Amino acid sequence: MDTSLPAKPRPHINAISRGFWENCRRGILSVQRCDDCGHQHYPGAPVCPSCLSSRQSWAPISGRGTLVSWVRFHRAYWDSFRADVPYAVCLVKLDEGPLMLSNFAGDAPAEPTIGALLEVVFEKVDSDLTLPKFRVRD
Amino acid sequence: MSTPSEAPRLRRAAAVVGIGHSDWVRDWSRARAGEKPADSYGYGMQAFSAALKDSGLRREDVDGLIAGPTTAYERLGEVLGINPRWGDQADAVLSVVQACSAIESGLADVVAIVYGNDQRTAGTQYGGPQAMGGDAFLSYVYHAPWGLTSQGALYALTFQAYKNARGMTEAELGEVAVAQRGWSSMNPNAIMRKRITVEDYMASRYVCEPLHLFDYCLINDGGVAMIIAEAEYAKRICETPVFIQGIGRSDLNRGATSLEPRLTDFYLPAQQQAAARSYAMAGFGPEDIDVLQVYDSFSVHVPLALEGYGYCAVGDAGKFLRERGIGPGGKLPTNTGGGHLSETYMQGWAHQIECVRQLRGTCGERQVPDCRHVHYTSDVAGKAVSLIYSR
Repeated sequence: MDTSLPAKPRPHINAISRGFWENCRRGILSVQRCDDCGHQHYPGAPVCPSCLSSRQSWAPISGRGTLVSWVRFHRAYWDSFRADVPYAVCLVKLDEGPLMLSNFAGDAPAEPTIGALLEVVFEKVDSDLTLPKFRVRD
Repeated sequence: MSTPSEAPRLRRAAAVVGIGHSDWVRDWSRARAGEKPADSYGYGMQAFSAALKDSGLRREDVDGLIAGPTTAYERLGEVLGINPRWGDQADAVLSVVQACSAIESGLADVVAIVYGNDQRTAGTQYGGPQAMGGDAFLSYVYHAPWGLTSQGALYALTFQAYKNARGMTEAELGEVAVAQRGWSSMNPNAIMRKRITVEDYMASRYVCEPLHLFDYCLINDGGVAMIIAEAEYAKRICETPVFIQGIGRSDLNRGATSLEPRLTDFYLPAQQQAAARSYAMAGFGPEDIDVLQVYDSFSVHVPLALEGYGYCAVGDAGKFLRERGIGPGGKLPTNTGGGHLSETYMQGWAHQIECVRQLRGTCGERQVPDCRHVHYTSDVAGKAVSLIYSR
């Protein structure tokens, strides 16, 4: 690993989000599901936004969704992203309902089509962190 | 559930009797030359002094003080030398609303609302690791591992989804920046005054695609202040009091971090609610508005406001911008000072004094004839607020 490059920002992992990132390391995409009412949401929250129950779990989901929006950064706000410019960021509506912000895995499509069907791909950053990304599926 | 009016008792309960601001153009040049003309409190002081002079009141007459979000309330009061009997801290539009509330309830009679911001010379960042408020606003930091930051990126995501859903083009969005530059070319207080065309817009670089450089607000130093007084008192001391006629608000907080309110309905339900409440309180509707002022940290706010506040049908904003027009000579004069894109980025505060100037009839070359009602709208961080000023 080239340590001369500045590190990219890492997720803020806390008691609420830890389950999500542990699942990612194991290649599982998950959303927070309320143990009481079944409401599914993302990112994690201290209580269910639907019924306010504090009993929640990170539930595995299909990893499939559709493209809601995307942008391409032509400016790097972090030095660590400078080599990536221009890079794309996408917003995915998961089949289970919640929206999830991510990147396209590998090279982004030149003109991503809103509504395109996507599926999750896991990119290992290091032994502690695996980022979920998305690719177009047939 | 119908909520026809947000706060009917506040209708014409208070009026603006004084406006003031720092010299944005001079301080822009000085900041670019490496100088630091003032800090946030200094800019606030300059604006307050100008507003007080404009009102003809003495400092001792001010018994309420609202500090903008970029200065500490206690320190601002210390710098201004004001010990009020009522005080608060709020953003541009809510400062006006809270001043009206305090006045109507008898907590204060004359409220100064004061904003100062040295964001340019202080190097305030609106994206990246030092993004302003990054710790407080989850959507700024949560998505950092995927390289998403900056308010501009949030509006770029919004516009990408919006132009697909509504069939609007980048060139149609460019009409916003072109129109506002048309207005600012006639405004001696505006920092950017060179007219541009849609071709210039299309040729300008992307910052966060699909948004171009001209879709972004300026980042500059400055201050803005207004003096708001109880209505009867205002009529006695001021020849041209400008009354707060209508107020409406509706918030969408649920799903904010995953951008649901702005990406799925483009804030439309909140804007429609806020609009209905403010029009009900004012006693008229969008057809009676002479000038529109839209909080425009990014041009994207404008088409969303045109649809959300009832100036055109949902899906028709692109056509409205192209065919009816919001610039000089257009059917709906909008951001007549040039807005955040071209006049000054005072986070909605300069829009308030432009509302007052249009209603006073003191806008010179850019004055909209026989201006009776001006509408200010903002949709920032999930809060849709609609404020109507009248003569």
